Amino acid sequence: MDAHPDAPPVVVTDTIKNAIRITALDQRARNSGVRLNQSLSDARALVPDLDCHPADGARNRALLLKIAGWCERYTPLVALDAAPEAEGNHGLFMDITGCAHLLGGEAGLVSDLEARLRAQGFHARLCLADTPGAAWAMARYGQARIIAEGAHAEAILPLSLSGLRLPPAMVASLGRVGLKTIGCIAGLPRAPLAARFGARLMQRLDQALGRETEAISPIMPVAELSTERRFAEPLTHHDEISHVTAALAEGIIEPLERRGLGLRHGRLKLFRVDGHVSELDVQTARPLRDAPLIRRLFAERIAGLHDDLDAGFGFDLVRLDVVHADPFDAAQAEMMAGHSAGQGQDALVDRLGARLGLERVQRFVLADTHIPERSFGRQPVAHLGAASARQAAGNAVLALTPEIDLPAGIVTRPLILFDRPELMQTIAEVPDGPPLKFRWRGVAYEVNRSEGPERIACEWWLDGRGARTRDYFRVEDRQGYRFWMFRHGLYGRETSDPAWYMHGLFA
Amino acid sequence: MSLSRLQTATDILQACTRAYEAKACQAHREMALGGGETSSPLTLGASAVDHCLEGGLACGGLHEVRSPLARDIGAATGFALGLAARAMAADRGGRAGIVWVTDPATRVDGGGLFPAGLAQYGLDPSCLTMVEPGDLQGAMWAADEAAGCAGLAALIFQIKGNPARFDMTATRRLMLRARGSGVLALTLRQSGEEEASAAATRWRVNTEMSGADDNYQNGVGAMRLSLTLERNRAGRTGQWLLAWNPKDRSFHHAAPNPQARANPSAHSLDRLPVSANRRDPSGKMGQVLDLRRDFGRAS
Repeated sequence: MDAHPDAPPVVVTDTIKNAIRITALDQRARNSGVRLNQSLSDARALVPDLDCHPADGARNRALLLKIAGWCERYTPLVALDAAPEAEGNHGLFMDITGCAHLLGGEAGLVSDLEARLRAQGFHARLCLADTPGAAWAMARYGQARIIAEGAHAEAILPLSLSGLRLPPAMVASLGRVGLKTIGCIAGLPRAPLAARFGARLMQRLDQALGRETEAISPIMPVAELSTERRFAEPLTHHDEISHVTAALAEGIIEPLERRGLGLRHGRLKLFRVDGHVSELDVQTARPLRDAPLIRRLFAERIAGLHDDLDAGFGFDLVRLDVVHADPFDAAQAEMMAGHSAGQGQDALVDRLGARLGLERVQRFVLADTHIPERSFGRQPVAHLGAASARQAAGNAVLALTPEIDLPAGIVTRPLILFDRPELMQTIAEVPDGPPLKFRWRGVAYEVNRSEGPERIACEWWLDGRGARTRDYFRVEDRQGYRFWMFRHGLYGRETSDPAWYMHGLFA
Repeated sequence: MSLSRLQTATDILQACTRAYEAKACQAHREMALGGGETSSPLTLGASAVDHCLEGGLACGGLHEVRSPLARDIGAATGFALGLAARAMAADRGGRAGIVWVTDPATRVDGGGLFPAGLAQYGLDPSCLTMVEPGDLQGAMWAADEAAGCAGLAALIFQIKGNPARFDMTATRRLMLRARGSGVLALTLRQSGEEEASAAATRWRVNTEMSGADDNYQNGVGAMRLSLTLERNRAGRTGQWLLAWNPKDRSFHHAAPNPQARANPSAHSLDRLPVSANRRDPSGKMGQVLDLRRDFGRAS
């Protein structure tokens, strides 16, 4: 990083084999004679006012990931350099196949990338080559920034063997037999080399020379569709962002139509001039192919942000990704067209989810158990297929409703259930009589009518030994309040002092 | 010449003013009724209540249901869900679904809707969409959005007490949006006081003892509630005793249990309100003890 001209040289130190050694250094430190892997005391002897910082692997990685996210402005295929055995894997791979022409060819892309990284304060060594291996070697041990198509094999031959992403020990033992450059081993017979140093050496060589294909694994899943706008004059106002979102949404409709798809999960990426990337996600309950609705969802998403969208010096690239799309039912859309657009229940759910958070808009899902608080859950609507959820809930409700012939209007389950049953002080007959008086939330109640018990056995396969049976009673007090309460444990068999819990309220 | 022209201009101006006033008057009347003429009113099923409401509740409009005490919330929820279930069953042009928005303050008491109970109550739990925003402002926004969604049958907005932010302006906005879309918007006010709002009607719901049934003597009966129409912009108010029938999803009139009046609570504590610093605590503080009876028991 560039700092004040008078600032002392900066180094990063780490403890290696009980010695504090230098793991990274800046240009000024290098000019003063400090070297990599030097111990800190030696370096201090050279430069007394050295500004040293302990290495922090987690933060380094986080920073690298952020840079990787930013690099997605050039190509969606950005991967971390994951060569565990090689030294200095602080790199990124970018597959720019088919992307270079957008920025004026390969040279234009590389110089743009380098200039932008330098503007953010990073020194980066870049190389563009036919294979990831050759680019890796040239970026670290060579000088060329762009290797012409087909020339990568000759270009890397003079480079050090470390450029093959090999473990340092292997490089050292190869060096002892006089094999120091890639060119030394490229012409040797393969079988003896593989027998002596392992198949990994030959694989790395083949990958660098392009004899074996090597796929990079991108950090982010590649979007199904993506559309973007670049701006010479960065955007700062929300209105402008809204307009751009609308334009991007318009642009994405036609490709969606051609594929017969509808948007389920969209992501708006705002690339700030200083390298920060803001991501806004929007998910919909059903496939969507309506530009104004998509724009409105993103507007709600921006309105629901806790801290405002910080535009800083402005966004110079805005991209809309279709992360996930589902087949779009055109017939259904035409049916819906009878209603005015955006008035349906699904559109409402999408809007609420976009602003409040998807997990806050829920529907009931039912589970196959008799324990009341376990018999249902609440799932975000966006994660349920609307039709399937409706069907599943309907079936389960039928199964849950007891098939006893009750008098008209009598119900056995309360309308309101407490998340946690509440402990009460209760006077009740032993062993299994109904409650007579109880005190709940500081108020005493006298029981006028009661029905029960309805016995619900514990789920021993979940709760283990010692779980207790519940005897549920429906109770009405003298004023007419109707409660659902239970005795926890069978008197004498499971416990000698069963506790009583309030669990629900009837209408 | 110029005078006659001036006269003509004045006439035109007056005509315009009259037309404007007539329009404003009509708008005002519509607002007072709480609903446009387009949607047919929602009947409760109980004849006296429907008669008092002149046909039923206005569908596109805001109505408030409040439970005076925290433990009355069961009955109030039952009444609100009953209205919503009737709105669902009324089948007004393909409207489906109920949105239930809760203010996070209501979760302090820890109760939530129970799907098995809803199913027995005559309401399919899968048609409910629950919205639980993180704060009251978000909840009010969500309620506004839902009230403006023409595809919905009903919106229930559950709040606790009388938050200052949910004021006349907020209720008026909710009411106008509901009127525009035809959604039945209900405010369910848990342990709330009476408060001026833009709602067309305000109902107080208290629970009521189960009826006397010879076949079901000691059993806990069906839902019964004592319903007070405290405020009605369009007409009269009243008080009724209603029961809910889950099978045909309707309210009907019920006869009071003779026991309920003859045998009031023996506990003086029962009569104490939850907090004594309410606006109108008189008449509820304590109970006149029948000393003779107590003496008699002691001797």
